[in-house]
This record gives sequence, structure tokens and C-alpha cells, in this order.
Amino acid sequence: MTDLAADIIRRLTRALRPSVAISVAAVLVAALVGVGLIFALGVSVSDAIAAFIDGTLGTPYAIAASINRSIVFALVGIGFVIANRANLVNVGGEGQIAMGGIAATAVALYGHVGDLPAGLAFLFPLAAAAIAGTVWGSIAGVLKIKAGTNEVISTLLLSFIAVWLLYWCVQSPQLLRKPMTSSATLPESLEISDPTKLPLLTGDYSFPLHIGLPVAAVITIIAAVVLTRTLFGLQLRAVGFNPIAASRAGISYSRMVMISLATAGALGGLAGGLMLLGEQYVLKDGFSSGYGFDGLVAGLLARGSVVGVVASALLFGFLRSGGINMEMVAGVPTALVMVIQGLIVITLAGATFFMGRQA
Amino acid sequence: MSWELFAVFIGSSLRLAVPLLLAGTGELVSERAGVLNMSIEGMMLTGAFAAAVGAWATGNPLIGLLICVLAVLPVALLQSALSNTLRANQIVTGIGINILALGATTLAYREIFGARSREQIPGLSKWSPPWLGDIPIFGQAVFEQVWLLYAGLAVIALVALVLRYTTIGIVLHAAGAEPRALDKSGVSVSRVRYLGVIFAGFMSALAGAFLSIGDIHTFTEGMTRGAGYLAIAAVIFGKWTLGGTLLACLLFGAATALQFQLPTLGIDVPNAFLIMLPYLLALLAVGGLAGRQTSPRALGEPYFRR
Repeated sequence: MTDLAADIIRRLTRALRPSVAISVAAVLVAALVGVGLIFALGVSVSDAIAAFIDGTLGTPYAIAASINRSIVFALVGIGFVIANRANLVNVGGEGQIAMGGIAATAVALYGHVGDLPAGLAFLFPLAAAAIAGTVWGSIAGVLKIKAGTNEVISTLLLSFIAVWLLYWCVQSPQLLRKPMTSSATLPESLEISDPTKLPLLTGDYSFPLHIGLPVAAVITIIAAVVLTRTLFGLQLRAVGFNPIAASRAGISYSRMVMISLATAGALGGLAGGLMLLGEQYVLKDGFSSGYGFDGLVAGLLARGSVVGVVASALLFGFLRSGGINMEMVAGVPTALVMVIQGLIVITLAGATFFMGRQA
Repeated sequence: MSWELFAVFIGSSLRLAVPLLLAGTGELVSERAGVLNMSIEGMMLTGAFAAAVGAWATGNPLIGLLICVLAVLPVALLQSALSNTLRANQIVTGIGINILALGATTLAYREIFGARSREQIPGLSKWSPPWLGDIPIFGQAVFEQVWLLYAGLAVIALVALVLRYTTIGIVLHAAGAEPRALDKSGVSVSRVRYLGVIFAGFMSALAGAFLSIGDIHTFTEGMTRGAGYLAIAAVIFGKWTLGGTLLACLLFGAATALQFQLPTLGIDVPNAFLIMLPYLLALLAVGGLAGRQTSPRALGEPYFRR
């Protein structure tokens, strides 16, 4: 009996590796600060928490919306983790989402895909989104290899450029803006046609979970297997630890940089495509709405584990939904969620010091 | 283009370049010391907000400026402690601080001013240097500027002298290039780097104050709009030299000014393209226009004392 107890404790402690414990602690500390801030704002904490829970789990719609959002964060986060294996920091999720949204809108509206057999109508725009993201991620890769440009700076600048490119597209009638019928025509695209919208899993708009979920699930499993069980995953890690040693072992640094940044870009673009084809249906300014940064934080929080990305993406997906409802019902600005995220990132990065020298 | 319009263009290029010039100089000092300080974006935003609140609450923009510098100091100390004492990843902590600063200033702004207020805030006064201000056409349009611009230029000139002619300049360079040698010679690498980051914080604070109480006399949510990242790009473009960095900042300032100038000339370029232009230039700049990059050798690497 004691053997069994000891075994269980041993298994539990192994599962609660310091890295997991620290991630959990960082989230708890940040959440406590969040509650303290709600208190300081003079809002009833119980009202705020009630609004938060209502916005996350209160209705089937809220649950599905939170999960759809988590899918976006998870894809961007997995991209971050893949690039991070090669010791690269991809901060370009925001721009990759925007490029995915632009490409998906353009193909869905003007690519004559509406009449294609069922399935193909939304697959083409989705593929276009992933390709646009790949291109955007690859630019950072090329700059890194050819000019030694720090990918953090290049992906950040590329994000700004993509966000303004999207603004340009929805402002200009020659690009994606819907035909101007009056001066009151909003600067946004037309709504995409029904066949190009992603099918809902239940077919019911009160629970709008779309096929992005199985797509993301498959990608998650593939990413987890590739990173931990394949030669490629090992090569990526080798390059991350020591590029010179890796190249002596015949692993091309340039190739690894290109593949990892392009893959991260593809996942970001795909996330943008899912957002547009699955939920928003109309492209407008502010489309990426900070999701790229949420995905980045989800990736950071996961400390390199794909399963961890899924957990933190779900956390942030529900956190965002709850935050939005808190603003509407209890009058707590959603900026509070950003404060909490910033604190999580800082606490985690600072905590690596106490875990030995490896990050 | 008439001379009058050209003069206005030069004047507004200079004005729009000021936040970049100040923050870029701060970033250069920090990077010379070996710390890649991504958080100047957040520091600028914090500074812009603190200056606006201070000036609004006291009615005195000078007190606003003082409060601004004091408010950014803890942010700079946090970045220093994370990147030097705790040896955390400098890029990740910088981004964390930027997210925190954006969230915190937005939250506090909504609490203090209410959603999307357009209230005017008392701002810093303008000053025109003698003689230069009297030049016909150009005098007023180019040289009549908020005095913080001239104060900032004086600080930058001082930095140039210190970097070039003093021991401090050599010590800074060593902290970023050969930290171990500096340590062996008895100077604390950590202390030098702390001071480098704090100086970057001071300059970012001035840059932020210029944005809110110098230029437009109000605060808007997330008003830095990536200016901090442009300043970092300017340092790279300038190959970690002060002159190069300043030139790059002026170039980005001019690119921003075009956005307001071209429409008045009747040239029809999409507004979005013009807003994007500084970032596009910055990307081209860091992506090889500047040639092979020669960063301080230990840039971004925490120093471990053996």
C-alpha cells in the first residue's frame, strides 16, 4: 500500500515539473493582481467575477466563441514554439494573421470559388491564407539568413506593415473595400458568400464551433509528434542549442531557420484564415485585434511544450471572452487582460533564473 | 513644391523625428552596454501617459515632465533587474513590459479621463532660437519648436561627447563588446548595464513626454504606435554609431511627415501606404540596406560572472 502511495507521489511530482509549477504560479500571481486591480477600480469583485464566468461558460455560444478564439491562439503559439526550438523568437503572429485574413478574403470574394464542389469553396481561401502567412514568415527567414537581421525586429516591423496593408485593402475600393454606394459605406469588405464560410460542427449558430477545431487538433498532434519523435525535431533542437556544432553534424542552419519561420508564418496565416472564414466573414480594420500577441504569450507560457500551448491557448481564449463580458456588464476595461498577460510574461521570464540556467 | 511648403516639411520632419532621436540615443547607449532594450516602446508610452496626467493634474507641464521621468524610472529598473540581475531573456522581458505598459496606461487612462476623451492638456511652450528664428521663410517654420527639442538635442550632443572622449564611453563599449575583460579590470559589468538601461529609460521618458505634452497636448491609447521599435531599427540601421542612428531617425521622421505633406501638394498616394512607409523603410534598413551588421559582440547576452 505504501509502495503504491509512494509510486503515485513519484508520478505526480514528475508531472509537476518545476517548469509547469512555475507557469501555474505565474498565472495565479497575475490573476491575483487582476482581482486586486478590479477591487482598486471600485468595481464589485463578485459582480466582475460573475460577469467573467458568464462570458466564458454562461452560454453554449460563449463556450464555442472562446474555443474558436483559443484555436487561433494555439496555432500562433505552436508556430512560436516550433521557431523557438531553433532558438528563434517569432513576434510576427499579428502580421501573419492579417496577411491570412487578406488572402482569405481576396480568394473567397474574387477567386470564383463559390461554385466549386462542397468543401473546395472554403479550402482554397484557407490554403491562400496559409500561403500568405508562409510568405510573410519567410521574409523574416530570408533576412535572417542573408543579412543576419534579428528576427524579432523584422517580424515586428512586418507586423506593422501587414496591419497597415490590411487597412489599405479595406479603405481602397480598388482593393477589397465593398462598392461605395454612398458616403456612409463602411471601410470594410463585402461579406463572403455562404459556401466559403467554414461549416459549423453542429450546424447550429447558437453553438458556432467550426471545423477549425479538428483542423487545429490534427496540426497540434502532428506538431507534437514531429518535435518530439522525429529526426527533424531533433535537428531543429540541435540548431537551437548550438548552430555551429549542428552544422558540423551536417545540419544546415539556413534550412532550419527558413523551415521554422515559414512554418510559424503558415500557422499564423491559417489562424487568420480561420478567423475570417469561420467567424468574422467580413474583413475590416483592426482584424487581427491583438490575437497575434495573445498567441505569442500562449507560446511563451508553454515553455516549449505543444500540449502546454493548447492549455495556455484555452486559458487565454476564455480569459479574453470573460474580459469582454466584464467590460460590457461590470464596466472593467478589457485592458485589464493585457495587464495580466504582461505580468505573466515578465514573471515567467524572470523566473527562469530560479530554475537553473536553461530557459 | 514652394519654399514655404518645403520649410513646413522640414519643420514637421524634425518635430516628428524628435521622439525617435531621443529614444534612439537612449537605446544606442543601452545596446552599446550590451542590453537589447525592447521595452523602450513601453517606457515611451508610460512616459507619455505620466507626463499627460502630471500636466493635467497640476496644470503645469514642467511638473508633468518631472513626473514623467519619475514614473519611467521603475520601469527601467524592472528591465535592468530582469536583464542583468535575473539574466532573463532580454527580448521576451521587453515584450512583456510593452504589453504591461499598453494595458496599464489604457486602463488608467479610462479610469482618469474616461473613454476616448479629447481633453486638451497644458503643454510645453515653444521657443525659437535667436538669429535662426529670424531667417525668412525657414526661421519660423523650421526653428520655432517645443523647447524640449532643443534640450533633447543638447543631451544628445553631450552623449556624443561622452561616448567619444571620456572613459565612460570606453567602459560602455567594453560592457557590450568584452564584458569579461571589463570585469577583470575591476569594473562591475552589471552596474554599467544597469546605468545604460536607466539612461535609455530617461531618454524614452523624454520622448514620451514630447509625444503627449510637447506635440499634440493630449494622450491617446497606445499613442506610441511602434515608435520604440522604429528607434531600435534606427540603431541597427545606424550600425550602432550615434551619427548613423540620428540620421536614420531623421529619415523615419521625414517619412512620417510625408503623410501630412503629400495630400497638401495634391499628390494622391494612399494614406495607408504613407503611414506604413516608416516601417517599410525600417524593414529595408535592418534587412540589408545597411550592409552586414556589426552589433556589439555581447549584445543581448546576460553576463555570468565566473
